[in-house]
Amino acid sequence: MKTGIKIALSVAMLASLSYGGEQFAMSDADRAMYAEMSENNPADIMVADGEELLGYMGGDEGLAKYLGVSEDDLPAYIAGFPRYIKKFDMVVGIDQVIQAMMADGGHKPLKLKSGNMFAMVAYVKSIANGEKINIDVTANKQMKEAYALGLKTYMTKRGGRGLSCNSCHAPAVVGRILRTQPLPDLGANGAKAAATWPAYRMTKSSLRTLQRRFQGCMKNALLKVIPLGSKQMVALEVYLTNKAKGAEISIPGLKR
Amino acid sequence: MQRRDFFKKLGTVAAVSAVMPAMSFAGGAKPVSPNKMDYNTAVNTITGGKTPKPSKKVKLKVPEIAENGAVVPVTVTVDSPMTESNYVKAIHILTGKNSNARTIDVYLTPANGKAMFSTRIKLGGTQKVTALVELSNGEFLTASQSVKVTIGGCG
Amino acid sequence: MQKRKSLIKIKPKRYKNGEIVKVSFMVMHPMHTGMAKDKKTKKIIPAKYINSVKFIYNGKEITSMKVWESLSVNPVFTTYMKINGKGKLTVKYTDNTGEAHEKTKKIKPKG
Repeated sequence: MKTGIKIALSVAMLASLSYGGEQFAMSDADRAMYAEMSENNPADIMVADGEELLGYMGGDEGLAKYLGVSEDDLPAYIAGFPRYIKKFDMVVGIDQVIQAMMADGGHKPLKLKSGNMFAMVAYVKSIANGEKINIDVTANKQMKEAYALGLKTYMTKRGGRGLSCNSCHAPAVVGRILRTQPLPDLGANGAKAAATWPAYRMTKSSLRTLQRRFQGCMKNALLKVIPLGSKQMVALEVYLTNKAKGAEISIPGLKR
Repeated sequence: MQRRDFFKKLGTVAAVSAVMPAMSFAGGAKPVSPNKMDYNTAVNTITGGKTPKPSKKVKLKVPEIAENGAVVPVTVTVDSPMTESNYVKAIHILTGKNSNARTIDVYLTPANGKAMFSTRIKLGGTQKVTALVELSNGEFLTASQSVKVTIGGCG
Repeated sequence: MQKRKSLIKIKPKRYKNGEIVKVSFMVMHPMHTGMAKDKKTKKIIPAKYINSVKFIYNGKEITSMKVWESLSVNPVFTTYMKINGKGKLTVKYTDNTGEAHEKTKKIKPKG
């Protein structure tokens, strides 16, 4: 499809978005109720699961050792992911570190997409609960490149409708209703999404990671799904996590 | 469990996150619950024919708009001393339009200390949710609220 | 029988005798209504849901519930209980296909 037509389509689509009427507005009382729900987040069970699974590989102590940090420094270190890790010469997310740890331990690593992997990622990130996200996208050449790639991926229009992440999540479009739900602002600095993922998704009745959520969104927007753990996907996570820099980590989250 | 056993188990650990098809009324013949019972029949069954009275003593907390019909938080609180001579015997949570109007029947005792019950229910569409409360003196009290269910969103 | 993952939570974590605490029981369960179709096979998924839950405190049943299929997947059951001595809280639950499980939590009042 010609680029010109693609872009025209996306503009037409966006023009048809309406601003949310009161009919779809959730009251503050409603929001408070949903916030209360996270007191008993089903994902708590999965996080406990993840802790058990990590336990078979040495638990927090084993993880800290594998990453080359002290157990005391582990929470703040986790709060800086995705990171460039010299050992792998790659910018990686927590899930990839877990895979590497499993492989190095002589075990077949869990697939990035598996429920058990999500559980372990959630547990590991929960070690950093209370810490502020401290990702450093200027730390080294690789992080800078990852950030640049993430930004590019976020802004690139592609797919059948000529949409980019920014098409629906830019400040200018925030609050507009798409498929009965108001669009969240992921473009603003301080957009805290990364601080509350992995999260329990009510519509999927399961624990999901941020990258997995991106995939769901891409599918709906008719964008070719980017594989978990791929350079672009990790870059996207770097870009989004940087937006949440300074936000307090609280895992597991609870989402629609 | 030994490390070896854990990794052997990897293939068989329950995939609890299997795809859950959403309960919906869309497309084709409307499916019927194996426990089909409409709201009025449910109320009569519970009260034995007595008419329940709406009461401010029963506080029903449900969202006005449910972000997702599969997970709607419901909390019922009843103003009661919960003593042996005066306590809440049961809290029933009913829906107006679900195929089976009943969602849960909770039988309390003074050992609970306070009369409250909270859970999450599935709503097949916009409808009224009702808390039907039975007191130890045989009285039946109710409180209702409508919940608008929005089905949508991306991803 | 396959074990189910579950959790009993008491709030606040520290409590005294005589105090009324919030107790929640959460369990992983698909709560199939028997009305939904499997997206892949197009066949109706048979009803499979928790149908009863009992809270037993030091041998005494303090709360019992009859549960229907329209409770959400991975359900939670929250109520209050009056702390009345050291011991244990056991939650027993069954589902309509005959599964029966229990989960226990120690009750340790401080003072």
